[in-house]
Amino acid sequence: MLMHLLTLTVVMAALIGAVLAATHHPAVPIPPDNPQTPAKIELGRKLFFDQRLSADLTISCASCHKPEFAFSDGGNAVSTGVGGRRGTRNTPTLTNVGFRQGLFWEGRSTRLELQAVGPLTARIEMDMQPEVLAQRLEAIPEYARAFREVFGEAPTLKTTTFALAAFQRTLLSYNSPFDRFQAGDDLAMSEAALRGMEVFFAESGDCFHCHVGSEFTDDVPRNNALYTVYQDLGLALATGLDEDVGKFKTPTLRNIELTAPYMHDGSIKTLREVVEHYNRGGEPNLNSDVLMRPLGLSEQQIDDLVEFLKSLTDRSFTTNPAFQPPR
Amino acid sequence: MSKWFLFLIPLVLTSAMAAPVELKINLRIGDQPLQFGQTYQTPQGQRYQINMVKFYISEVALVRPDGREVVVDGLVLADFKRDAPTQGVSVMRMEVPPGEYRGIRFNVGVPRELNHLDATTQQMPLGINSGMFWAWNPGYIFYRLEGTALLPDGNQGWVIHMGTDSFRLPVRIHDLQTRRVRIHIPPSGGTITLNLDLAAAFQPGPGGAFLDWSRPELRQLHGLSPQTRLIMSVVYFNMSNAFSLAQ
Repeated sequence: MLMHLLTLTVVMAALIGAVLAATHHPAVPIPPDNPQTPAKIELGRKLFFDQRLSADLTISCASCHKPEFAFSDGGNAVSTGVGGRRGTRNTPTLTNVGFRQGLFWEGRSTRLELQAVGPLTARIEMDMQPEVLAQRLEAIPEYARAFREVFGEAPTLKTTTFALAAFQRTLLSYNSPFDRFQAGDDLAMSEAALRGMEVFFAESGDCFHCHVGSEFTDDVPRNNALYTVYQDLGLALATGLDEDVGKFKTPTLRNIELTAPYMHDGSIKTLREVVEHYNRGGEPNLNSDVLMRPLGLSEQQIDDLVEFLKSLTDRSFTTNPAFQPPR
Repeated sequence: MSKWFLFLIPLVLTSAMAAPVELKINLRIGDQPLQFGQTYQTPQGQRYQINMVKFYISEVALVRPDGREVVVDGLVLADFKRDAPTQGVSVMRMEVPPGEYRGIRFNVGVPRELNHLDATTQQMPLGINSGMFWAWNPGYIFYRLEGTALLPDGNQGWVIHMGTDSFRLPVRIHDLQTRRVRIHIPPSGGTITLNLDLAAAFQPGPGGAFLDWSRPELRQLHGLSPQTRLIMSVVYFNMSNAFSLAQ
């Protein structure tokens, strides 16, 4: 009887925590010129999973942003676009992407509607021309009808990106063990994860200065001393400034367990290796962020930090039917 | 005669002083008309085809013999369709005072004050639907050249996307001293036809640097990466001299 009561208590705590976690997150900012509607979100979901949005009908947004990997590319260091063309950067997660203040690894794109133009038209990704996309969608009665219902006009590249943005703003993940712990479920996280949390939010680990707040990112491009010489210049590609060489946007850590490999180029395979990189202080680099330095963490602390990072995994996010391909 | 008629006189005079002028462009490979899908050869012997040519023209002005300019408002997107003509393609209509001019100048690109506005709010020829918005680095692609390189080990696509405020391309086709450049605009209006020699893009630059499509990293020129920076600059300077007045 006691065991049953204990089990019931744990289950209730988990449920309450889940509910609290699910209801205590900030509202996604919605741009006034692209209000959310159920029809638009559903259209965006269909488009997101539709390979017909690529030049050779082989690549959808979901080809690289796979739901089961928190909308990242499932173990691939870089992604492959139409015709087998390989990119140069790791596909970022779309977890809570509606909150991101800067998109792409440089963080230079200001809104999801504009960001989507990139993969849709890039030669190494989906390689679509605006007029081809519009004609192709118009020729599909389901889309021709849906675009008119949602936007009052025929499909265009612009309205396609607006629908995709609407869907992406629904991709919310706030039901990890960490969230449930935050919501009052004392049993949500393991002992190791709790110890790791202490390191994460202390100066000893110093993770929280960049991976800040409930989104675990400051959305700022930084040089994390991954290399001494960067093949990919990062932010400097856009600004041309020497001091921006090697700067890439701080990624969110939510669902980080599911989004391996890591870094802008997918060059680090495991979470433990990532933590070890930071523990070493990175490679010598003139632009290295001021916070990069040897941390002196013990093996136990590294293990604990990894466990904490795993506590940011939200399986309800990756299995949410609303985020899966439409039937 | 009522006095209100006097207000019409300046309008009539202004109208009479402005002549309609059409700006046309011939796409060339050297001195030959470009044909999409036809195979050409670079000075280094690499064979290629051109599949797409799109670019913005803005900040246009005609240059008077005394050096003053007649500035023409407007921005256009010159979009050469693959199955459409490449010669005498009308890209812009303007109104200028008739008379003698010593040339024309314009920029290939989007003015800075338009280049960084929210593309979702802009209309054609700007905006998302133009296919010229650069998502990763806010601003527009000023010009797009795309094609196929016919390499010994197979065909490979290539793109040249030039953008960012530092790569706006100034085209200056005027000459006050030698009078080599003459544009006559009669009162009834006229046409200014320019040649754009796309083969110029592939000419070698300082030290013999050239766009070598056998190097995969040079098949996509659209940023300032260490591998592409030199060639981007070579292409940029080549293209600034690629326009000429058609005779």
